[in-house]
Amino acid sequence: MIHTQRLDELRGADDARYGGKSASLGELLRAGIPVPPGFGLSATAFEEFLTESGLAHRVAAALRGLGPGDVEGLARASHVIAEAMRSAPVPGAVRAEVAEQYALLGPGDDSPAVAVRSSALGEDSAEATFAGQQDTYLWVQGADDICSAVRDCWASLYNTEAITYRARLGGGAAAHPAMGVTVQVMVDAAVSGVMFTCNPVTGDPSMVAVNASWGLGLAVVGGEVTPDDYLVSKVTGEIVREHIHDKEIQYVPAPGRRGTVQVPVDAGRRTAPCLGSQQLAALVELSRRVERHFGSHQDVEWAIDHTGELYVLQSRPVTALPKREAKTAPTSAMALVMQKFGAG
Amino acid sequence: MSSTATQTGSFPSPYEVPTPEGCEGWEEMYPYYALFDERRRESDEKRFWFWNSMHFPTPHPAFDVICIDSPYQAVGSWQNRVFAVPPAMGIDYRVVNGYIYISGNPVTDPEKIAERAGYFQRRAGYYYENWSELYGKWKTKMEALIAELNALVVPGLPEYEPDEVAFSEDRNTAFYEVLDAYGRVLRLGDLMWQHHFEFLLLGYGAYATFAELCKNNLPDIPDQHIAQMVAGIDVLLFRPDAELRRLARLALDTGVDGAFVQGRTPAEIEAELSQTDAGRAWLAELEKVKDPWFNMATGDGLTHYYRSWLDDPSIPYASIVGHVAALRAGEQVVRPTEEIERERDRLAQEYGALLADEVRGPWQDLLALSRTVFPYVEEHKFYCDYWFLTRWWNKVREFGALLAGHGFLEDGEDIFHLSRHEVSTALDELVLTWATGGLPLGPKHWPPIVARRKELLERLSEWTPPPALGVEPEEVTDPMTIMLWGVTTERVREWARQQDGGSELSGAAASPGTIEGLARVVRTVSEIADVRDGEILVCGSTSPAWAPIFTKIKGTVTDVGGVMSHAAIVCREYGLPAVVGTGRATAQIRTGQMIRVDGSAGVVTLLE
Repeated sequence: MIHTQRLDELRGADDARYGGKSASLGELLRAGIPVPPGFGLSATAFEEFLTESGLAHRVAAALRGLGPGDVEGLARASHVIAEAMRSAPVPGAVRAEVAEQYALLGPGDDSPAVAVRSSALGEDSAEATFAGQQDTYLWVQGADDICSAVRDCWASLYNTEAITYRARLGGGAAAHPAMGVTVQVMVDAAVSGVMFTCNPVTGDPSMVAVNASWGLGLAVVGGEVTPDDYLVSKVTGEIVREHIHDKEIQYVPAPGRRGTVQVPVDAGRRTAPCLGSQQLAALVELSRRVERHFGSHQDVEWAIDHTGELYVLQSRPVTALPKREAKTAPTSAMALVMQKFGAG
Repeated sequence: MSSTATQTGSFPSPYEVPTPEGCEGWEEMYPYYALFDERRRESDEKRFWFWNSMHFPTPHPAFDVICIDSPYQAVGSWQNRVFAVPPAMGIDYRVVNGYIYISGNPVTDPEKIAERAGYFQRRAGYYYENWSELYGKWKTKMEALIAELNALVVPGLPEYEPDEVAFSEDRNTAFYEVLDAYGRVLRLGDLMWQHHFEFLLLGYGAYATFAELCKNNLPDIPDQHIAQMVAGIDVLLFRPDAELRRLARLALDTGVDGAFVQGRTPAEIEAELSQTDAGRAWLAELEKVKDPWFNMATGDGLTHYYRSWLDDPSIPYASIVGHVAALRAGEQVVRPTEEIERERDRLAQEYGALLADEVRGPWQDLLALSRTVFPYVEEHKFYCDYWFLTRWWNKVREFGALLAGHGFLEDGEDIFHLSRHEVSTALDELVLTWATGGLPLGPKHWPPIVARRKELLERLSEWTPPPALGVEPEEVTDPMTIMLWGVTTERVREWARQQDGGSELSGAAASPGTIEGLARVVRTVSEIADVRDGEILVCGSTSPAWAPIFTKIKGTVTDVGGVMSHAAIVCREYGLPAVVGTGRATAQIRTGQMIRVDGSAGVVTLLE
């Protein structure tokens, strides 16, 4: 295989080719953390796509001469490129690898549903976050549909926000971007959400902050519901704070299990807490393992399926912790006591 | 609340608190300097005063004013004149309708603060460095003081002096001995208070510093985890109850547990025990335990109402009866010290590991310092507030008996309705007329005064004091106010907000968990017996002597106290939800009312 790799074979250093998402999932799998199986597409697949279809030239031509202030021009270019990409075939070599990897994913299920997500490369991660390149296609089935979704992920590199952002960075709109893609078996989530391995508001490292809502994680990640909000002590497992909210909607697999659909939550479950103490304990335990493995605070997307199994869907470093007042580090215990009495 | 609220009097003016009906003239029970006097109005009205219900939960008897004066003389001496805590002098008190309000005196001049800092650093530094050695000496000093108090004889006034007075050199007559003994009793009390505060401020300060460092670096850490990391395992204060548990076990092991029937008086239980060898052996064991462990007071209040287990054995016996029943039911009544210790060390290790490298060192040092000072913080209560003080009140009672014996009082207990200076005056007249054989006026003079004051105290006890008076401070900065009483800026805001009532009280989240149940408001220790199984205790504050109650109740709410208060510590041990320092729970909650206690959030909700 040239362009793809099973997730459990990837390591952190592979993010230069496979992108941060695939690489970090590989790391999690290595640490024995439950992550749904899947594979990553390397940036070379995208390059092959650009070269083989002759798109590289057309892209360059569409972007030539556009400055960051040319709003209309950039929008038009974005549209042209997207159209061109969607009509270009995924290279045969890539398509064959995807089909082969996909076949390995579903023993007993010949066409398991997968999630297809963009996996931004190394230092582009921050940019990707900024430019909204968080393209995710859920409940995708069959190698053909996966290839289409992969192509859509690639196309997102040229959405208006992304090219404007690159133009503004000074490399010019034509600067050559790259991207990996992550393909991962779907978790049919009963409950899902995100958690931080610290309190993102106060920065307290002894807390795990959990947001949870019914159904697939889309509702929480996309901010479409106010999720249940828990603050749990890592040290004792005590729930330090708990706010149960009215969760009006949830996302579930669409009929035929292709794509997703938003449905209202049953009246009885809307204001019911979606996590019990055992599930919270499992999440806290999991967050500690993830944090220990990466050695830094993590923002973890998780899901619990209908059989109660807990999975990590992705994990990335917490970048924007509150800046605490730049207190000089305490020199000694006694100096602090003196300060307390106003004698410091 | 409007934005100008910080500067307006958000609490009632101390000068506008109405006197309850029939209590006119209550002021005459107290010294002139203890009142909100017009001549000091300009200054007093601008200050923030809060009701010290932790130490003075009931209208204060005249004699017991000594237990306001002495402690505040002592705490001010150490804080202001010895250690010179830079921003805080001592604490002033005033009496309103018999209740004690206090207010700290801040130091605001930056130059003065800097000057004091020099004194503080040298002197406090010396104490911290030599803590264990100094505390060892302190214990010896306290034990000697208690021994002296016990040895002090209150002389009688005989018809004729004994022969020694006439025939030997070194002798005094009874008039001198009585006056000398009374003076000595008062001085011993002052000495105890002096010792009481020698370490307290520094002990609380070290702990508070540790707590603050925790909060700065672990902003969401529950207060009780901080307390758990510091709290002593083998603390003296747990010994009395541990001894009761041991005695209960012994009763079962030697087959005399049949005597411990609920509802029996101590005398009835002892009568049955004394009929068998095993029973007598148990009673002998009890005798061994009594000194010093039965020198527990029945409450934390600094008044003569609080007796010791020695004075009132019904409390320890009730506890033993409860422990026997629990043991029979197969429950474990021994305090799981090993488990507590393991958890304490685990918490310290886990939190330590979460800290940034540059913080960890000082944090560990502070934890160690807090653990060094903490035995004093907990144990001084046993030595001073319980052991010494209950015996000291009894010594005063002996003077009461002397005065009653000569008709100056109708009952010895009435002595507590005269100020210590009035008692001195009464004793002066007593020994004078004893000496001259003249007709004393005391028997006509004192009883009506006592009668009126008894009536006043009873009426005043119906009145509910507001938690605070005067001006709401922008910020509470006095370290003692915060550390000892848990009166923080937030707490005061809360009090101000709750002035208009409402169905929610908030306080410190002292012991996690949520429970609903019927409230039992317990204002004084004499009402402990009324508490029924499964009720939620609502009280001013608790003390170790309340131990038996915690096996009955489902949760606790107090008016005063922080997460280190007795109620908080015990509730955490027993796994009972607790909210402490609500300011007005006893005023706002009625016995029998359905309430919800959320000990994790620090909120009490009145459900009806």
